[in-house]
Amino acid sequence: MTSPKPDRLAGFPNFDRLLDGKVALITGSGSGQGRAAALVMARHGARVVVVDFNEEGARETVQLLEEQDSEGIAVTVDVSQRANCDEMVAVAMERFGRIDVLYNNAAVQMSGRVLDCTDEEWDLTIATNLSAIFYACRAALPHMLSGEGGSIINTASTLGLIGSEGFAAYGAAKAGLVKLTQQIAVEYGPTVRANVIAPGSIDTPRFRRVLDQTDGAEQWVEQLTRNIPLRRLGLAEDVAGIALFLASDLSTYMSGAILPADGGLAAYR
Amino acid sequence: MTAQLTGRVALITGGASGLGEAIAHRFADEGATVVIGDVDAPGAQSVADAIVARGHNALAVVGDVTRTEDVESMVDAAASIGPLRALVLSAAVESFRPVVDLSDDEWQHILDVDLKGPFLAMRAGIPHLIANGGGSVIALGSTLGLIVAPGHPAYCAAKGALVNLCKQAAIEHAADNVRVNVLAPSATDTGLFMTFSAQAPDPEAVRARVAAANPMKRLGTADEVCDAAVFLASDRSTYLSGSVIALDGGMAARRM
Repeated sequence: MTSPKPDRLAGFPNFDRLLDGKVALITGSGSGQGRAAALVMARHGARVVVVDFNEEGARETVQLLEEQDSEGIAVTVDVSQRANCDEMVAVAMERFGRIDVLYNNAAVQMSGRVLDCTDEEWDLTIATNLSAIFYACRAALPHMLSGEGGSIINTASTLGLIGSEGFAAYGAAKAGLVKLTQQIAVEYGPTVRANVIAPGSIDTPRFRRVLDQTDGAEQWVEQLTRNIPLRRLGLAEDVAGIALFLASDLSTYMSGAILPADGGLAAYR
Repeated sequence: MTAQLTGRVALITGGASGLGEAIAHRFADEGATVVIGDVDAPGAQSVADAIVARGHNALAVVGDVTRTEDVESMVDAAASIGPLRALVLSAAVESFRPVVDLSDDEWQHILDVDLKGPFLAMRAGIPHLIANGGGSVIALGSTLGLIVAPGHPAYCAAKGALVNLCKQAAIEHAADNVRVNVLAPSATDTGLFMTFSAQAPDPEAVRARVAAANPMKRLGTADEVCDAAVFLASDRSTYLSGSVIALDGGMAARRM
C-alpha cells in the first residue's frame, strides 16, 4: 500500500494568481515603477486604483490594464494634499469596497545641498514624500483593520538609507518614511503588514528627464553603473516584482522590513 | 582638567529647559559663551541669568525654531558676540498617539519642530561655522529615531529623518571642517521624557517600567548627555562626523 504523496507546496498561495480578489491602491501609477506594479499586480488578479496627478498617465495605465483584461480605475489627484489622500481612499472603498494593498510610490525628487535648499523646496519635499504617506496610511488603515487586514508598501530610496551629497530634504524625508513604516508595522502588527522598498537608480521616464538635463549624461550613467554590483540600472519591473512579493501572501511573515531594489548598491556603499 | 570650549560661542536651541538647559550650563562651565534660543522667553532669560550669576557668559534669544526669520535672528545674535563654533539642536516636541489618531496639525507641528527646526538652524548656522574655521553641529536625536516603539509615529519619523539629514550635512561640509553628529539619548531623567511621563496617571510606574526595559536598568542622566555633548563640541572629537552616538545604556543594540 502506498500513501498519496504529500503536496509540499500546500501551504503556499496560488503562484499564478497571487492577488486574486484583492484591491491595490497605487500612487504615482501613471508611469514608471507605479505603472509596472499596477500591471503585474493586476495580472495576478488585483483590481487597481491608479492614482496619479497626471490625468493622461493615469488614463493610459487604466487602458493598459483593460488591454490585459484587468480592472482598474483612474483617480487624478495630487497626493501632497491631505484631502486628496482621503479622497483616493474613499473612491477605492466606494468602487471596490476594500483595500488590501496600499502602495505609496508617488514622490518628488529635488536635489539641493543643505545650505542651498529653500524653505519651499524643503516643505514640498517633506509634504509629498513623508506627510502624504502618513495621510494615506491614516486614511486606509481603518479599512484594512476592519477588513481582512492588508499590506502597506512604501517607496523609500537608497538615499534614505545612507548619507549622500545634495539630497538634503529628499534623503531626510525618505529616512523618515522608513521609520514611519516601521512604526505602522509595530502599531498594527496583528492585521496589517508594512514594509519599505528602497530603490536605487531605476531607469524610468523621470530618470530619463533628469538625464536629459544633465551634461555628460552618458558618462555619468557609466560611472553610476560601475558602482552597482549588478552593473546595470534597475528597471521599473525589477521594483514591481518586489512590490508584488510584498503585496502577496508570499510575504505573510514579513513586516517592518526594508527591501532594497538597487542591484546591490547599498551593500556596496 | 582644563576647560574644553574656551573662547567659543555655542547656540543651543531649546536651551530654556530640559537637556538643552543642562547642556547650556555645562558648556558655560567649559568656557563657552552660550546663546539660549527658545520660544519660551522667560525660561530662556532665567537660564541665561543663572549662567551669568555663576560668572559665565550667556545670552537669551527668543525665537521659534520652525520660523525661518526667528532661526536666522538666533544665529545672527550668536554670531555677533563671538566666534560661533557649535550648534546644539535640542528643541523638540513629542506626543503619544498612534497613526490613526494623530491629527494633521500634531503631525505637522512635530515634523516642523523636530526636523525642519534643525534644518533651518544648520542652513543658517553652518556658514558661520565655516567662516570661523570649522565647528560642530550636535543634533539631539533619540533612541526612537533608531528603533521604533508604538505610539510615536511623528516623533520617530522626524528623528529618523534627522539622522539622514545630519549625514547629508556631514558629507557636504566635511571638507569645511564642520562636523555634524547626532546624539541620540534614550529616556533621560531630565527633559522630554520626564515631561511626557508626567502626563501618565502614574508617572513613577512609567519611569520604573522604562528603566527596567533598559539593559542598564536605569534612565540616562542629564550629566551623561552633557558629557557626550561636550565631547562632540570639543577638539577631542575632530575626526568624528556623520555618526550617531546612541547614548542609551545599550537599548538600541538590543533592539536592532
